[in-house]
Amino acid sequence: MLKRLAPIELGRGVHLHVIKTDKFKTNLIRVYLQRPLEKEEVTKNALLTMVLPRGTERFTTSMAVSKELENLYGASLSSDVSKKGERNIIQFALQLANDKYLEEKGVFEKGLSILNEIIHKPHLQEGKFHTQYVEQEKDNLKERIEGRINDKMSYALDRCIEEMCSDEKFSLYEYGNVEDLKKISAESLYEHYQNIIGTSKVDIFVVGDMDEATVENMVRQHLNFVSGDKLFVEREEIQRSPADVKKVEDKMDVSQGKLTLGYRTNLPFESELYHPLVVFSNILGGGPNSKLFRNIREKESLCYYIFSRIEKFKSLMMISSGIEFDKYDKTVELVGKQLEEMKNGGFTTEDIESAKNSIITSMRSMTDTPSMMADFYYTQVVSNNPDSLDEMIDKVRKVTKEAIIASSKQIELDTIYFLRDKKEGR
Amino acid sequence: MTIQTTSSELLHETIYSIERSDGLKVFFMPKEGYTKQYAVFATNYGSNDSKFKIASRGEEICVPDGIAHFLEHKLFEQPEGSVFDKFSELGSSVNAYTNFTSTCYLFSSTDKFYENLKLLLDFVREPYFTDESVEKEKGIIAQEIRMYEDNPNWKVFFNALKAMYHEHPVKIDIAGTVESIHKITKDDLYTCYNTFYTPRNMIVFIVGALDKDEVFDFVDKTLNNGKKKEEALIQRIYPNEPDAIVKKEIEEKLSVSMPLFNIAFKDVDNGLHGRELLAKDISTRIILEMLFGRSSELFMKLYEEGLINDSFEHEYTGEIDYGHSMLGGESKNPHEVLNKILDHIALMKEKGLSQDDFDRIRKKQMGQHLGYYNSIEFIANTFVPYYFKGISLLDYIEILKEISFETVSERFRKHFDSDKCVISVIRPK
Repeated sequence: MLKRLAPIELGRGVHLHVIKTDKFKTNLIRVYLQRPLEKEEVTKNALLTMVLPRGTERFTTSMAVSKELENLYGASLSSDVSKKGERNIIQFALQLANDKYLEEKGVFEKGLSILNEIIHKPHLQEGKFHTQYVEQEKDNLKERIEGRINDKMSYALDRCIEEMCSDEKFSLYEYGNVEDLKKISAESLYEHYQNIIGTSKVDIFVVGDMDEATVENMVRQHLNFVSGDKLFVEREEIQRSPADVKKVEDKMDVSQGKLTLGYRTNLPFESELYHPLVVFSNILGGGPNSKLFRNIREKESLCYYIFSRIEKFKSLMMISSGIEFDKYDKTVELVGKQLEEMKNGGFTTEDIESAKNSIITSMRSMTDTPSMMADFYYTQVVSNNPDSLDEMIDKVRKVTKEAIIASSKQIELDTIYFLRDKKEGR
Repeated sequence: MTIQTTSSELLHETIYSIERSDGLKVFFMPKEGYTKQYAVFATNYGSNDSKFKIASRGEEICVPDGIAHFLEHKLFEQPEGSVFDKFSELGSSVNAYTNFTSTCYLFSSTDKFYENLKLLLDFVREPYFTDESVEKEKGIIAQEIRMYEDNPNWKVFFNALKAMYHEHPVKIDIAGTVESIHKITKDDLYTCYNTFYTPRNMIVFIVGALDKDEVFDFVDKTLNNGKKKEEALIQRIYPNEPDAIVKKEIEEKLSVSMPLFNIAFKDVDNGLHGRELLAKDISTRIILEMLFGRSSELFMKLYEEGLINDSFEHEYTGEIDYGHSMLGGESKNPHEVLNKILDHIALMKEKGLSQDDFDRIRKKQMGQHLGYYNSIEFIANTFVPYYFKGISLLDYIEILKEISFETVSERFRKHFDSDKCVISVIRPK
């Protein structure tokens, strides 16, 4: 399986990680830029990932870019933002068919140079981004931010975090906000772009059927990031004891109520108890034989979906479900009961084994998907954790019941969020 | 046991298969280097099969809407409890899904593959329904239906189907309605199970870094231990669906931020099987990409005018007895999008499609298709529905490579007919 990766330093703050494998029919290149999650720039970062693919010096329209990618056997280009704790990650990715299966050679190298143009040689107009492109993408981003309500399940999760962490950076939505968006101009965005391209830590991952030296040569030749002093992103604060449980309700025209419970685990991911905590959450709400699924769905028929998950960087545990509006009290009570029982050690050796097996299966499964492999190792980079996948699996294996109980001792309910219909009363 | 071999030189992939004496077919595709193994046990039975005849009983049987999906839920129940627990002990994840034409039970594992496979092969062949457990499931499925009621993409899609189809059961929601599922009884479930879960109507597909002889020996040995079942001939009854659409427009209001739309073209060139059906499928996908893809003039125009955004996409569904092309997205003005699409189609019918676009899109689709083979889930979940339509998945890339510009142009003229076009819109409340 996968060993520890030895990153190649291309320049100060710019690293290349090569994962060599011949089992895929494609080669993948992913570029990550690390930014602090700040209100000041989160909206700009999101907009930037939408404006850059609109055109380059050579291919000035997105139509021309698309045609070029199609000619490279449908190379798929993506650019997006995400948050890892209170880090704002800007990412670009390009997946290309492996030459081995094609009549044409050199596809990867051509792809690399397009990716470089997208990132480094945008189509400019009078020394700034093309105004029309910026304005169009501002409209698109506005639609995307406002469209958050369309997916009720993820909206309820986001809203819970927003309320729970209202005075913390983690509450920021990764696509930003409409007020800040209005203020962005082609000039200010270009200025921001020039700033971040030089000051962000860069990690480049290549997953594919090529050896390290070949990849390094090609990347050095085609994908040049500025070397230099990079911005250091501080570790997020995590300790917090809520005085009271915050209760928030939003009303919308919906058929099903969406319940989200947000907890503080008060346990940093650097702790030895982190893996035990992941096992704890898995037993509680990880899958179809979890406590929540068995009791709240199978026994009480209260819901179709219910799950619990850990937010690694910010030390949160989120429980989420879809229920009838009048089953709010009952569900909240039952979730609390299951959690308390578990904190008191009310789970068996079989529960532990099943949870460990399921976590290990999903960890091992990542090696079959190129993007997940890159993402796994990037998370390791960001969390400053040198463990390989095998080493992590080993740590999960060794988790004991005592450690699981200990890891849960400081879990505290912070916020209960409910998205419900517009009718009065409950 | 004779093992058949089908290979694709372009893909460097091989699929092995056997047909057992009871009619069940088992397929295996090796994937060297993969950590996961994946197996699907599928029946050619979906939400569309709501009316049928059983030879022994003679009369036509009409079951409540949503029963195929209900049955899928209940098959996980065993006398000693839920089969979920047994898979969980092995650390694998088991799942199932029901669509219009098939029901699939599957697991993925990274360890103890054969123990998992035995569980899968056993639980799908051993139904255990009780009145009590059927009643209990109604609450759970009702919440699943409510969840979909709040999903605007699902609603806009089903409304488009309702605007296209007069009689065909594809217009009915796969899970049924809260009312229809309350009518379902234990006996209904057994009737459907006994009719459609027969070896001749089912297949097993396995993919992973496994040994082919071991796979086939194990499946054969496991299945022989099971009970033999009486095989009745299935007579599915599908209503006569007129070529014409029901209505041109359908609208609904939901809590969304801006209007969502689906624009669909009903296919009238139906009744094809196997390679012919696949060629139609591929031609249609090429046309959709040529006309509405990221590099098309129309996309560029609509995008720059702010009429569509990044969510604009297209898809073709080609079953034996029905089919449709679907375009969907978000727009401030869905009817303006429709007008521009119809104008553009009319223009392209005059001008003719471009050979350059065709060559480039075909190249793109070749590369994309290759990439899909990275995913063992994709392979299994695409192989199954194609197999039930008489199509071999490995033929896809070969036909794509050979398909001619003329075939595609001809299909374009026939399929994209404004009289067969509907628009479904979800507006903000």
